[in-house]
Amino acid sequence: MTTATFGAPTSRPTAVPLSERVKNPALLLLPAACFLAFIYLLPLIDLGRISVSGPTWSVYFERVFSVPLYWESLVRTMQISFTVACFCLLFGYPTALLIHRSRGVVQVLIATAIVLPYFIAILIRTYAWMVLLGRNGPVNKLLTAIGVFAEPAQLLFNRGSVLLGMTAVLMPLMVLSIYSSVARLDKSLTRAALAAGAGPIAVFWRVLFPLTLPGVGAGFLLVFVTALGFFITPTLLGGPKDQMFAMHITQQADFATSEGFLQSLAVVLLVITLVVVGVAGRFLGFEFIWGGGKLSDSPAKPSGDKAERSSRSQRSIGSTFADLVGWPLLRLLGKLPKSAGTWTVRLVGGFVVAGLVLPIVVVMIISFSSATYLTFPPPSFSLRWYEKFFSDSNWMSAFWSSLIIATMSASIAVTLGASAAMGIVRSRIKGKSAIMLLLVSPVIVPPVVLGLSLYTLFLRFDLVGSMWGIAAAHAIGGLPLVVVIIAASLQAVDPRLEQAASVHGASPLTVFRTVTLPAIAPGLAAATFFAFLHSFDELVLSLFLSSAHLRTLPLMLWADINYQLNPVLAVVSTLEVLLVVGGIALARPVLTRSRGVA
Amino acid sequence: MADKLAWRAERQNAADAQSGAGDTTRRGVIGSGIAIRDVVKAYGIFRAADEVSLDIEPGEFITLLGPSGSGKTTLLNLIAGFQRLDEGEILVDGKPVHDVPTHKRGFGMVFQSYALFPNMTVAQNVAFPLRMAGIDRATADRRVAETLEMMRLSEHAGKMPSQMSGGQQQRVAIARSIVLRPKVVLMDEPLSALDRRLRESIQIEIRQLHQTLGSTILFVTHDQGEALTMSDRIAVMDAGKIIQIGTPTEIYRHPKDRFVASFVGESNLIEAEVVQKRGNTMTLKNRAGYVFSAESRDAIDVGRATVLVRPERIAISATPVPNSIPATVTSALFLGEIVRIEAELEGGETLLIRCTDMAGRPLPAVGDSLHVSWNAEDCWVLS
Repeated sequence: MTTATFGAPTSRPTAVPLSERVKNPALLLLPAACFLAFIYLLPLIDLGRISVSGPTWSVYFERVFSVPLYWESLVRTMQISFTVACFCLLFGYPTALLIHRSRGVVQVLIATAIVLPYFIAILIRTYAWMVLLGRNGPVNKLLTAIGVFAEPAQLLFNRGSVLLGMTAVLMPLMVLSIYSSVARLDKSLTRAALAAGAGPIAVFWRVLFPLTLPGVGAGFLLVFVTALGFFITPTLLGGPKDQMFAMHITQQADFATSEGFLQSLAVVLLVITLVVVGVAGRFLGFEFIWGGGKLSDSPAKPSGDKAERSSRSQRSIGSTFADLVGWPLLRLLGKLPKSAGTWTVRLVGGFVVAGLVLPIVVVMIISFSSATYLTFPPPSFSLRWYEKFFSDSNWMSAFWSSLIIATMSASIAVTLGASAAMGIVRSRIKGKSAIMLLLVSPVIVPPVVLGLSLYTLFLRFDLVGSMWGIAAAHAIGGLPLVVVIIAASLQAVDPRLEQAASVHGASPLTVFRTVTLPAIAPGLAAATFFAFLHSFDELVLSLFLSSAHLRTLPLMLWADINYQLNPVLAVVSTLEVLLVVGGIALARPVLTRSRGVA
Repeated sequence: MADKLAWRAERQNAADAQSGAGDTTRRGVIGSGIAIRDVVKAYGIFRAADEVSLDIEPGEFITLLGPSGSGKTTLLNLIAGFQRLDEGEILVDGKPVHDVPTHKRGFGMVFQSYALFPNMTVAQNVAFPLRMAGIDRATADRRVAETLEMMRLSEHAGKMPSQMSGGQQQRVAIARSIVLRPKVVLMDEPLSALDRRLRESIQIEIRQLHQTLGSTILFVTHDQGEALTMSDRIAVMDAGKIIQIGTPTEIYRHPKDRFVASFVGESNLIEAEVVQKRGNTMTLKNRAGYVFSAESRDAIDVGRATVLVRPERIAISATPVPNSIPATVTSALFLGEIVRIEAELEGGETLLIRCTDMAGRPLPAVGDSLHVSWNAEDCWVLS
């Protein structure tokens, strides 16, 4: 169990230290560590090296901060990200409460409406908004019909559509993050507060909100950090005045001459992201990234205690301040009728659900359109665009490439990730949190930065356009998903079960096969599915790493969206939605079975 | 490889030899002796087991009793091989088990949380140890059926553990632990998740199983009542050490110190001064100066002593009798079969008294004066 040597008088003097050491579960971390070191850390370090390889080390950075185009875009990026995070919080919190408060089928439906879009590619969800807000889209049709506009207006390519699109795309992240902390609340707490004479508003302010603050903080940061590196949505929905920082990197990437400067742009974006995450992690604990509990390094952990104490005192300062401002405000609100709170939650939640589901539904309907351009409602229905998709060799070959790459990527991510999760949960090594942080850190690195850094590596090893290369690159992002899911299911395995198997004669391998594996099988299946989906949906890395003769489905979509908006895209989107729904439906019996057992 | 084969053969023989034991009650000791020598298990500076030594006789039912955190589960885990000891050694039948991995120790074990495999039926759970030992299918099936019948679980063979009640699940777990007729069965607080009535019935069941099987049973509990009813011997643990080892009567009547006295059973501890010692009998004087006698085995003969009197060994009377001490009633509760009285001694201590002999007499009222007394052999001087 421990690697510590023991001075016991053993019967045989040849105690087997080597075989003991080989059995150390910490070794299971090695494959993932090597993989990440080579394909993730090394390229990022190299990126940093190139960024300072100019005549003087700072020459490129000086350019970034002296050309208004870039630093203005940087400020804009921060503004947009912050606004989006605020919107998400404002609409996401009531939605999380709505899920929590509803029961039975309604709860399942609302939760599905939030979770489902989370698994659908950002590209497709952005495309759905383009359809929805387009000149012939349903919104324009509706507004002209009721006479708000005399003729269809340009709703796209402005700041408003960027904010709307990004908020919609990132909303599930916020809702799920808040919900996870709302769901953890003990129901009797609110009852106890009510019984103690607190009104509904006092219950919210004194009990509910403070207890869900960790989830709120985590959600806000995740949304903010993800938005910082956003590239797809602002490119498709924004106008020239809505350039976000990550977009400069891809635009510059077309020019080989800008080597060095390009890398410095990426380094700036990366450093800002890391600083935000670092500062947030100091206060929230880095666990917010993977939304998990703390991993126990050792039974006694005095440093953790200290952090907790300091954060508690900070929280109390924060809450005194909030009380000063918020409490009188809430008192005023208290004058509203009692049902006002419930109705606010229902209205906002309903609005969010509609905002997440409607675009997808509209796209699915349009995929059956008979028109050659995007218009809603479709003049009549046909399957012509499905025929076109399945008969077009370009689309089909892209589809098969994506399928193969996603399968390869999922197997890499699951193999490495499952082994790493075993290593991290079962070993007694020091600094588990730091290792976990490394394993999940690809989630917060902007894909554009990662793509650029990998491009250099891929050029050097002649991997550009190779399937294994792209699959491995996708696995960088798939790995954190796998590690988090499998680590969580491993932690849920009762150690007593494994001991029971062991004491009744099962060798370690048999214990794993008969007890551990069946217990984590649902997690394993989910992890495989998510890793597959991650690769299947991945666009940004593929943009950097694919070649003219290897195109993935998202790449085809991307090219088509920029070139011509036709219903074939809606067909692909519909198929993707079916894939996600099918995957979840397939996973359901497995998931419910595991719940029944536990 | 040869080792493994030999081990399998031995298991098979044991299974064959013992088959049919289910319907008889003959007792043959098959249990192993376990010797624990100066065992230390430390986590940093905290010693969960602190130089523990214990000799367990073959076929003995021994209980490790102690409050949570006293090291009893750690000791059990060390014996099972879940944890490695830092110092000392553990011998089973005279052989050190330090290098024997858990799965080759051939023990049975019952856990507090049942630890039944949720993906297997009751029969499959019980068959697990047989499967692992490589026993042939026909024998295994027969053994499973016999063991299930023994535990009155036959009709549940096809059920999943999640479909059963806690008590049934624990009986399945017990069946699994004994199906191989192991030489040692380890039980880690197996009854503490069950309600009182169920607990009592399974206590009896385990006790009978022990008689039937003749295995050595090492039972861990924090429930002193359970320890007293079930064990051949009890090892009372505190802070990683064994404080006292003895039969239930020894532990109850002659506890070694304050900790054992107050942990096992209800106790009255009286501070007194030694007046005189003659043989095993001591004459003592309490704070208020009343003189009484007590039994002692230790060689204390002067100074202060703490004396234990069990609540049910105290007699009360309205008038003074020889060696009695006056007291004032502070509470009196009628509990049906007994009456529970609290009375304050002259000199400060409050005594708890349980007496049965109240027939016809009215309950004493709060504030009443009475005289308490006890026999010298019911009064024990702690060391």
